[in-house]
Amino acid sequence: MDTPQQTPKWRIVAASACGTSHLKNNQLCQDAHHWEILPDNILVAAVADGAGSASQGKIGAMIAVETAVENISLQGPTPRKIQDDTQLYQLLQEAVVAAKKAVENEASACNHQPHDLATTLIVMVATPEVVAVAQIGDGVAVAKDLNDNLRSLTMPENGEYINETTFLTSPNALDTVQFNLWREEIANVAVLTDGLQMLALNLVLGEPHKPFFSPLFNFAMKAENPTVAKEQLSKFLGSERITQRTDDDLTLIIGVFGTMGIGNNLLQT
Amino acid sequence: MDLNITQKVMLDTLRLDEVVEFAENPEPRCPCVLLLDTSGSMQGEKIESLNQGLLSLKDELVKNPLAARRVEVAIITFDTNINIVQDFVTADQFNPPILTAQGLTTMGAGIHKALDIIQERKFQYRSHGIAYYRPWVFMITDGEPQGELEHVVDQAAFRLQEDEANKRVAFFTVGVENANMDRLNQIAVRTPLKLKGLNFIEMFVWLSASMSAVSHSQIDEQVALPPIGWGSI
Repeated sequence: MDTPQQTPKWRIVAASACGTSHLKNNQLCQDAHHWEILPDNILVAAVADGAGSASQGKIGAMIAVETAVENISLQGPTPRKIQDDTQLYQLLQEAVVAAKKAVENEASACNHQPHDLATTLIVMVATPEVVAVAQIGDGVAVAKDLNDNLRSLTMPENGEYINETTFLTSPNALDTVQFNLWREEIANVAVLTDGLQMLALNLVLGEPHKPFFSPLFNFAMKAENPTVAKEQLSKFLGSERITQRTDDDLTLIIGVFGTMGIGNNLLQT
Repeated sequence: MDLNITQKVMLDTLRLDEVVEFAENPEPRCPCVLLLDTSGSMQGEKIESLNQGLLSLKDELVKNPLAARRVEVAIITFDTNINIVQDFVTADQFNPPILTAQGLTTMGAGIHKALDIIQERKFQYRSHGIAYYRPWVFMITDGEPQGELEHVVDQAAFRLQEDEANKRVAFFTVGVENANMDRLNQIAVRTPLKLKGLNFIEMFVWLSASMSAVSHSQIDEQVALPPIGWGSI
């Protein structure tokens, strides 16, 4: 029997789903995500959206998320390092540079141009005390504190036209990185690619849409079996309600910090 | 016990679908101006075929639910006068007009008007927080500029070159039958296409497929357009 006296920890539910337009054309899902929980409750998460115009976009996206997360893990962030804004930004900056390099190396190794592997990238480091994000291109990262304040840490980066954005492989990519951090008692975080941003953000106000995120955070909080939860999230991303509104690939990482007492669950309805 | 677990799982999945609410954002728009020659030379079979083509454009666009909500069509005709026959309207609200042909060919003024209304439309999008794709202009003519001052045409061509270079617009030119293709080539940046016979229907089906492809595109500047079967360079 589980007792309510558990130590709090990160619980993650994450999924990528192929958009209906890609399914129709027999294309792969161009999105990728990856995450890892490091010692001291340090969550590292990354999502990437390979460009539809890039022949190897999927590969670019996979290399980007894996390299970014691995790089941070290898840098061995300590709670002390994370207390310092400059060091925290540096951690993210190095991960982005490493991801860019890895994608470019893969391109040259396979006789491709870097833009053949064009992809966006969002990297997040979150602890119960702070959340920090680096982002190139569109998509969004949000966080909620213990007082129920929901905030977006980044905003989708588009050019004049909605189908234009900056990629990790763009020449000016490193100048366009959005960095942000929020020092607060962090309860929930989420990172998503652009396929969901129309549903998850109020674009006129430039704010995250609370009724979108709150039920998902609740769901992740109550999730008992990670495999089942992932399936449920995938099913939701493929549900008709969503595919009617968007035909793009969809990726969502949800992180919730807390204890999972069963009694707690029943109360939260 | 097993039954309970199954029930719980089903309930949770169902609930996620039911409880997550979506932000109500306006659909991104994909504006397309049809800039149509309605001068005297278009009379008869040509204008009738063009009218038929407009009907098929509407039919094709509404077949695609996302395109029907995202593609916005406007129609400007140029003869002796310039008329906005249809201001921007999403495809599902578009009622194709029946055009008639008469008068001269003030193409330069028509190009100016098309670029003007695009500029205004973008301003409206921005002030309403509506995201948008690069606008298209699709000009169809069976002739060349006629009945207006040469410098109006020159200015229009110059402005068009600037707008293309700055990615403000993508401007396509289609010549019908006796159109002066050399003259059109001097005006447009993209090589004008010659319509095969009066194959307007096939051309508008292509236009619909292309606009649909653009209106679905995500972070993807280069959209692969369907092959052109209705015309040649």
